[in-house]
Amino acid sequence: MEQIFTLAFLTSFLSAAVSTAIPLAYASMGEIYSEKAGILNIGLEANMLAGAFCSFAVAYTSGSLWMGLLGGIVGGLAVCMLHAFISVRLAQNQTICGIALNIFLLGISSYFLKILVSNNPAFPQVATFPKLAIPGLSAIPLIGEALFNQNILVYILYLLIGISHVLLKHTQWGNSLTAVGEHPRAADTVGIRVYRTQYLAAAINGMLGGMSGAYMVLAQLGVFTENMTAGRGYIALAVVIFGRREPIRAALAALLFGAAECMQFRMQALGIDLPAQFMNMLPYLITMIALLGSIGKQRDPESLGKPYIRDAR
Amino acid sequence: MRKYTVQVARALVYTGLTLAVATLLILGAGASPLQCAGVFIRGIFGSLNGFAEVLVKAAPLMLAGLGISIGFRSGFFNIGAEGQMYMGAIAATVVAMWPVQMPSWIHVTLAMAAAFLAGGLWAFIPGILKAKFGISEIINTLMLNYIAFDLTGILIRGVLQDSTDYLPQSPALGPELAGILAPTRLHAGFLLALLMVLAVWWLMEHTPTGFELQVVGSNKRAARCLGINVMKSIVIASCLGGGLAGIAGAGELLGIQHRLLEGLVGGSGYTAILVALLGRNNPWGVLAASIGFAALQVGANTMQRQMGIPAAIVSILTGFIVILLLCDALILKLIEKRKVEGAA
Repeated sequence: MEQIFTLAFLTSFLSAAVSTAIPLAYASMGEIYSEKAGILNIGLEANMLAGAFCSFAVAYTSGSLWMGLLGGIVGGLAVCMLHAFISVRLAQNQTICGIALNIFLLGISSYFLKILVSNNPAFPQVATFPKLAIPGLSAIPLIGEALFNQNILVYILYLLIGISHVLLKHTQWGNSLTAVGEHPRAADTVGIRVYRTQYLAAAINGMLGGMSGAYMVLAQLGVFTENMTAGRGYIALAVVIFGRREPIRAALAALLFGAAECMQFRMQALGIDLPAQFMNMLPYLITMIALLGSIGKQRDPESLGKPYIRDAR
Repeated sequence: MRKYTVQVARALVYTGLTLAVATLLILGAGASPLQCAGVFIRGIFGSLNGFAEVLVKAAPLMLAGLGISIGFRSGFFNIGAEGQMYMGAIAATVVAMWPVQMPSWIHVTLAMAAAFLAGGLWAFIPGILKAKFGISEIINTLMLNYIAFDLTGILIRGVLQDSTDYLPQSPALGPELAGILAPTRLHAGFLLALLMVLAVWWLMEHTPTGFELQVVGSNKRAARCLGINVMKSIVIASCLGGGLAGIAGAGELLGIQHRLLEGLVGGSGYTAILVALLGRNNPWGVLAASIGFAALQVGANTMQRQMGIPAAIVSILTGFIVILLLCDALILKLIEKRKVEGAA
C-alpha cells in the first residue's frame, strides 16, 4: 500500500488529472463569459461535440492539426451562435434550446461519423499535438511533469485563464459584461449595447467550447467516436458553479473534477474497495453542496436565463 | 380567415423543412427516400407489433412529459426527469424484490406507489431548495440526474445485484405490469399513462390547486397578492412532476425490462422535456407529442434495420423540430412578410 504512493505514481496521476481537466476548463471558461452576460447555455455538450467532430473532420481531410483546431473553433462557434440567436434575438427559453442542441449535435455528429467511416476501410485517425516540455519548469518534482510537459493546447489554456481573469475582473469591459447579466435595462440606459455584449460573450463561449472538443480529439485521442464527450459538457456546467464563475477558481475546480475522474481507474490499485460510480458521482455531489453552501452569500447573476426584451415595459 | 391561412402556411413550413432534412439525411446515407418512407410507414402501421411498439415507447415519454409540464406551468423548470425515473425504478425494484407472499397486482401497485414516492422525493430536493432559498432548480435537477444514474450503477453492483451471475443488473423481478395486447409488449403502464393525462388535465383545469399552480407559474407577485402560498405551490409542482417521472421509470422496469439496468431510462427523461414543450404543456398536447416522438423512433428503427439508415436520424430530427419551434416567431414573421409583399 505504501509503495503505491510513490513519487512516480503521484506524478503520473497528476499528469493524467491535468490532461482530463483541460476540456472541462476550456468549456467552463467559455460558459463563465456567457453566464456573466446572463445567458445560461446548457448546450455545452453540443459546443464540445461540434468542436470535436469538426476538428476531427478538418484535421483528417487537411492533414493539418492547426487547421483542425480552427475547424473545431468554427464548429463550436456556429452552434453557440445559433443558441445565442434563439435566446437573445428571439428571446426563447435558453435551457430548452440548449437541450435541443445537445440532442441535435449528438445525432448529427454520429450520423456524419457513420458516413465518414463507411467510406473508409480503416477507421480514420489523426495525429495528436506532441508534448512540449518547458525547459527548467518541467523538471520541478511532482508538478513539473503534470503542468509543464504538456501539449501546446494546455499552454494556450494557461494563457487564456490569465487573460480571462484580468478581462473579467479588472477591465471596463468585464464590468459591462457583469452589468448586462445583472440588470440589462440599467446597462442599456448607461449606453452599454446589451445584445452585442451578449453575442460577443456567446461567441467566446462557442470558440472555447469548440477548443474543448478539439482538445479531446487533437490532443487526447486522435479519433472521433460517437458521443465522445459523454456528459463532460454537464460536468463543465458544474465546474462553473463550483468555481463561482471566476476563471482561476473554475480552473482549479476543473482540476479537482479531473482528478476525481482519474481516481476511478486507480482506486483498485490503491486497494480502495468502492465502485467507480462513486467517484463519478462526486463532482455532482460537491457542486450541490457548494450551491447549498452559497445560500445567502454568492448568487447567480440577477438576469441569468431571462431574455432581455428591449421594447418591453 | 387570415389567421387560418397563416396557420396552414406555418404547418406547411414545418412539415416541408422537416421532410427536406429527412430526405437529405437519407440521401446522404445512400438510400432512396421514397423506399425509406415506405419502410418508415410500414414499420409503424404495417403490423400490430409495430403499432403497439409506438404506444410502448410513448408511455414513459407521456408520463414524464406530463410531470415536466406541471412544473413548467408552475414556474418549476424541472430538467431532472431522467434522474427521477431512475429513482422510481430503484424504489420499484426494492419493493418488487421484497420476498413477501401477496397477490401480484397488490405487489405491483405497491411498487408503483413506491416509485411515485421516490421520484417525488428526488424532485422535492430541488423543489424545496428553490422555494426556500431561491437556488436555481436547473443546475440542481441536472446534478441529481447524474447522481441517480451513478446510484443505480452502485446498487446493481451491490445490494440489488443478481447474486446468480456477475452482470451489473438486478435479478429478474416477479411482479410485472400485465400485458394488454397479447403477442406485443404493450402493458398496463400505457393505460396508466392515459389515466394520468386525464388526471393532470383535471388537476390543472378544474381544481383550486391547479389554478394556484398556474398563477404561481405566470406571476409570482400576483400569486402572493392573491394570498397563494408560493413556496407550497412550487414544492407541490416539483413533487408531483417527480412522482410522475418516477412512475414512468417503474413502468419501463415492471412492464418491459423486468430487471434494473444502467440503460433503463437511456435519455428519455431529456426527450420528455421536448415532449412537454411540443405539447405546449397541455396534457392532451403531451399525449399527442409523446406518440409522435415514439412513432418517429419506431419508424426510424425499422429504417435502420431494413435500410441501414443510422438511427441517429431520430436525434437529428428531434432536435431540428424543437429548434424550428423555438424559431417560430421568426417563421411567422417571414410568412407575414411574404403575405404583405404578395398583397402589395
